[in-house]
Amino acid sequence: MSTFSGISTALSALYAQRRALDVAGQNIANINTEGYSRQRADLQSVGAPAVPSMFAVYDDAGGGVDVNSVERLRDTFLEQRGRSEHSQGSYLEQRKTDLAGIERVVGNLGDTGLSHQLSDLWASFSDVANRPRDLAARNQLLQQAGTVASTLSEQSAVLGDQWAAQRQQVGTLVTEVNTTASTIADLNLAVQRATSGGLPSNELQDRRDGLAMKLAELTGATVRNGADGSLDVYLGGSALVRGATTEAVTVTGATELTGLAGNPVGLSWAADGRPADVPGGTLSAATENLNTTLPDFRTQLDTVAAALVTKVNDVHTAGYDLAGTAGTPLFTGTTAATIAVAITDPALIAASGTTGTANLDGSNADKLAALAKDPTGPDAAFRSLMVRVGSAAKTATMRSSIQDTVTAAADSARDSVSGVNLDEEMTNMLAAQRAYEGAARVMTAVDSMLDTLINRTGLVGR
Amino acid sequence: MYTRITQRSIQSTSLAGLQLNLGKLGDLQQQLSSGKLITKPSDSPSDSVSILELQSEIRANQQYSRNADDGIGWLNTIDNALSGAMDNLHRVRDLTLQGMSTGAADAQAREAIATEVDQIRQGLIQTGNAQYLDRPVFGGTTAGSAAYAADGTFIGDTTPVTRTVGDNTKVRVDGAGPDVFGTGDTQLFTVLADLSKHLRQDPTQVGNDLGHLDTATSRVLGALTDAGARYSRVMQLRQSADDRVMDLKSALSGVQDIDLPKTITELQMQQVAYQAALGATAKVIQPSLLDFLR
Repeated sequence: MSTFSGISTALSALYAQRRALDVAGQNIANINTEGYSRQRADLQSVGAPAVPSMFAVYDDAGGGVDVNSVERLRDTFLEQRGRSEHSQGSYLEQRKTDLAGIERVVGNLGDTGLSHQLSDLWASFSDVANRPRDLAARNQLLQQAGTVASTLSEQSAVLGDQWAAQRQQVGTLVTEVNTTASTIADLNLAVQRATSGGLPSNELQDRRDGLAMKLAELTGATVRNGADGSLDVYLGGSALVRGATTEAVTVTGATELTGLAGNPVGLSWAADGRPADVPGGTLSAATENLNTTLPDFRTQLDTVAAALVTKVNDVHTAGYDLAGTAGTPLFTGTTAATIAVAITDPALIAASGTTGTANLDGSNADKLAALAKDPTGPDAAFRSLMVRVGSAAKTATMRSSIQDTVTAAADSARDSVSGVNLDEEMTNMLAAQRAYEGAARVMTAVDSMLDTLINRTGLVGR
Repeated sequence: MYTRITQRSIQSTSLAGLQLNLGKLGDLQQQLSSGKLITKPSDSPSDSVSILELQSEIRANQQYSRNADDGIGWLNTIDNALSGAMDNLHRVRDLTLQGMSTGAADAQAREAIATEVDQIRQGLIQTGNAQYLDRPVFGGTTAGSAAYAADGTFIGDTTPVTRTVGDNTKVRVDGAGPDVFGTGDTQLFTVLADLSKHLRQDPTQVGNDLGHLDTATSRVLGALTDAGARYSRVMQLRQSADDRVMDLKSALSGVQDIDLPKTITELQMQQVAYQAALGATAKVIQPSLLDFLR
């Protein structure tokens, strides 16, 4: 039994407790740092040699304490759940935004909405029926028809603009995915080196986890823990990041809304052009909007325009204009984008239902006005579009708000493991401080013991 | 195992709660300032469709009312014209009887009567050309400005002029010239021309003319009654269109507009909730063990 072993035991305690205090300090310093995981000094008592041998009799109380490692407290399963909830959350958030955008274009319930303008158009037909000779009423009708046509084509154009903007956004997001993936690969390398060198890499890992979360939010990517403490990121089964290497993804598909048929927007691997699966996240919602939602609603708007053109033209060409000649189509075009008023001369409006000579019959205009009640007319088509947009937007909003709660619960569970609790750190600090004081007292005790031994003993015969 | 609660999770939960409360407050504020419960389809897809339907229904009924006003103008014109014509026809009948009793002797007196009949005939032809907004009300859909030529022949057409004054309800608002003033021998203007001719040249025929005149007069009277009946029908339909607009507007308001007292109460409650959340947040984030350690 060594005389000085007590001092070295106390010294190891001083080292260890100071380390524990440092860790508590680091935790407190990062209490508000996004993505920081609390750390804990893993203390281990130093015992006797594990292999007994002759003449190596060891009867000490122990060799003190050692900081085995500084651990990062984070639950892999909770992280996994957090990533999948965040991926779903950002998918629904994007969906909500997209549908709200469409709703803003077509869902006008007020006086300037398409429904209101159609009603005004039918009323204008009635006015012409009342006063077939009144050019003012006829002009008013042409103006109103022009307003309806331009509203339709404007709404179609705005939906097209939204498509173009989102297509560009997809490009930006994919660049972000690639950058993030290569940063994760860099961090993987750094973590590997640090681990093999026995250096702490907790902060690097925190940063890497944050980036993996970002990838999950963007693409719904899944994460697996690879060899040597690296983090591998997969996009639907294919590796986006494996160890220190990355595979880049690119955007493929139509760059214009008109070229969308048979060429949907998607992601593919830059190396071999295989399509890359995007299981969730913002990008998934954006491609869904580009490939399905926006074109669908635009087609619905086309249906409204087509109903307007067909119904009005059918009746209009069956009538006769102010001079008694057969009516020509009032609208041209077949889609919301192309619809326009074909007539500029108000006298050419076929208000009359009587053929032959010029007359002031208004029965055909009356028939046109009655299209307001047509169950297959443009009003009905527009109402059905409206209800579809409204339901879709409402569903997306509700799902998103429910998902927010779920995501918050997952985050709270993650936080409950990784988050810093000030009270806990204070307690740890207190414990470390007291332990430090105790160890120092042990050292003082040993010191005074040695003092007694060295200075107060062996004085016989002096 | 207890669930660890950290300052940061309390902070984010509090923040989320505050956001939620403030969001609800904002929604209520927006409802109050716009006065509308539903401003976009996703607020309530089914109610939005009701709103659109009610709006177009209101617009249609307002137009029915306008159409009825126009119809009332036509029928009023017919009524005035025919009432005036009736007075003149009574006068003609008096003159005819006078002419018959004057006998064959007094040619001068009969000439005077015939002259007055001619004048009345001219006046009645003008009545036959009565116009509403530049259109002859007895001329059907003619593009011309007269229903009868100066010689009393019908130059209009008989296509009916109708006004839509309700769903699938059309009312005829013109009076077809031949229906009102007759055709052939008993056409009013022919009768009057004959009368004047016979008064001058062949008084024996005047009795026969009197019969024709009575036929024509009763026809005009019939047309007048008919126009009156249609007038009151259009008036009724206009009233019902106006009533319907009121009903529909109140239905629209029921769907779309906010209930003011209810919304204000909700706003107050939400404000209290928000203030409570603020107070709780301020209290909960503040203390930690730090406050109690020396």
